[in-house]
Amino acid sequence: MDFSWGYLMQGFATALSLQNIFWALLGCFIGTLVGVLPGIGPVSGIAILLPLTTVLPPTSAIIMMAAIYYGAMYGGSTTAIVVNIPGEASSVPTAMDGYEMAKQGRAGPALAISAIASFVAGTISVIALTFFAPLLANFAVVFGPPEYFALMFFGLSLVISLSGRALLKGVISMAIGLGAALIGQDPLTGSARLTFGSAKLLGGVDFISVIVGLFAISEVMINVEQRITVISEVEIGRWMPTWADIRQCLGTMLRCTGVGFLLGLLPGCAPSVTSFVAYDLEKRVSKHPEQFGKGAIQGVCAPEGSNNATSTAGFVPLFSFGLPTAPSMAVLLGGLMMYGLQPGPMLFKTNPDFVWAVIASMYIGNVMLLVLNLPLVGMWAKIVKIPFYILGPLIVFCTVVGTYSLRFQAYDVWVMLIFGVVGYFMRKLGFPVAPLVLASVLAQMLETAMGQSLLISQGSPLIFFTRPISAVFMGLAILSVGWGIWVQVRSKALVVAAGDDEY
Amino acid sequence: MKTQRSADIMVGWFVTLLGVFVIIASTTIKGGAPHRLPPQTFPMVVGFLLLICGIGLTLKAWRMQGVDLALKWPDRQGFWTILVCLASLGCFIALMNPLGLPLAAFVYIAFSIWYLKRSKWLTAIVIGLITAVVSYYLFIRLLALSFPEGELFGG
Repeated sequence: MDFSWGYLMQGFATALSLQNIFWALLGCFIGTLVGVLPGIGPVSGIAILLPLTTVLPPTSAIIMMAAIYYGAMYGGSTTAIVVNIPGEASSVPTAMDGYEMAKQGRAGPALAISAIASFVAGTISVIALTFFAPLLANFAVVFGPPEYFALMFFGLSLVISLSGRALLKGVISMAIGLGAALIGQDPLTGSARLTFGSAKLLGGVDFISVIVGLFAISEVMINVEQRITVISEVEIGRWMPTWADIRQCLGTMLRCTGVGFLLGLLPGCAPSVTSFVAYDLEKRVSKHPEQFGKGAIQGVCAPEGSNNATSTAGFVPLFSFGLPTAPSMAVLLGGLMMYGLQPGPMLFKTNPDFVWAVIASMYIGNVMLLVLNLPLVGMWAKIVKIPFYILGPLIVFCTVVGTYSLRFQAYDVWVMLIFGVVGYFMRKLGFPVAPLVLASVLAQMLETAMGQSLLISQGSPLIFFTRPISAVFMGLAILSVGWGIWVQVRSKALVVAAGDDEY
Repeated sequence: MKTQRSADIMVGWFVTLLGVFVIIASTTIKGGAPHRLPPQTFPMVVGFLLLICGIGLTLKAWRMQGVDLALKWPDRQGFWTILVCLASLGCFIALMNPLGLPLAAFVYIAFSIWYLKRSKWLTAIVIGLITAVVSYYLFIRLLALSFPEGELFGG
């Protein structure tokens, strides 16, 4: 892919036509609405709405599809913040601090910073995509199975950070997540595992059902138990973040963009992974890490920015090599092929007008998301004031619709219900939920990468330490685990020394 | 499980037994190919992790000294409310296929709102109806998703 100012300007001219602006706006709006539904993430959203785009010319259709994708990514964060229901796995870290902010009457600033962070990260990422795509695509090629395993292992080490003071419980939570993800067929051999002869269990446990159950259903159970009348009784203050809030998040936005974009170049590295990594990074560099999980605005900014950056980065291998590196990209690839377009290096030679129009539309899509959603922040924030006797059942209804739409099986909804009960007890008994989610997302990728790596090395685990990139990630993971354990032991020693043995 | 300590001991035992169960279940996993990671490897690792962590949690709770925090469980009314809500959700899921999404949604929403606020029976019916109509026209008609329609809507 050769960059050309002429083609980019031409692309803007095409993308800025009234017709395409309208389709982009419509795509953002519909994508946001679809993304708000728990269980229906960007992949499902694009797949569901793809037929609606068939009436359009190819360029307009792809512009609309890309806008739907961005919109759905943003929509997932809205319910995560307002009612603690992550729309997809990448919104789970957002829910951890965003919902706390909503309970404090700061749903507006949380939603607004989410939109702003998404805009900043998305715009920077599109600029990187425009100018550096070939170089960045080569970076992705260097990653093999050992590097992927090391990266996923590093991701799992984030459990230490996510567990807070309950490290042992965090590890148990992680193990449960790993176990749930292993139910079904082994991805490498196809063997049935932990299915006990059940055909239903052979299909495995979808992690969206797990996430929605753990967060949404358990939250509803707790609210019902406490007989709350509304989610937040605190008067809703400002709709927008203060300048102090934005200044606090400037560094966060840049860091999460870097993390999200670079990791997003790697095939298989989904926004769900990068959002956790970005969240953990912010917690580590923060001067007040104890505020994370209790309504820290950076805790909303980091995952939202990084997942948008990751989404954009996924276009790099798609355009450069014609390789879809994530399920969402595969659906977009299908959309492109539906119009007779074959992504890859030749696409830039055969259809430069189309490619640069799509790239230009990404700039516009980011602006549209901001313009469309910032004014709606007030509307979304008011959801917390809806009486819970109405909101609760509607939340549950949405979760049922969302999880049923995963595979159109009631089985997934039953799984959601079961994990809702599990989540309720986890919260009562002090078990952190985030490690379970992270483990369930990473488990299959981890196992596949490990199997492939050991095949390459003929069974030697040293492969993870002899390849430079892999060794770096393994080292970081081991350091992360060691540091986390040391901090735990040290903090307990300090507490004991102070004469207050907190369990 | 009235206090944190007792709860952790019980949960520790449960997790330990779960670990044993997973280890035993892993031994029954068949299949695999030469020179490949056997399919029972990861489940076995998870089983041992659960076993070790379960024992660890039990011992840690057993040896705990200091203030034992009381857990906040729901009162009798809260307990029954949760049970009824879960049961109604279960019925919604079970009835979705035979009744169809719109009708099952109406029944679920109307009942749940009425149960949580007995005086608002009209609100319950109205919102239930709106949910049913929206779910039919949006999900089944407009988006053409494969939700069950039920006999009433011609499914």
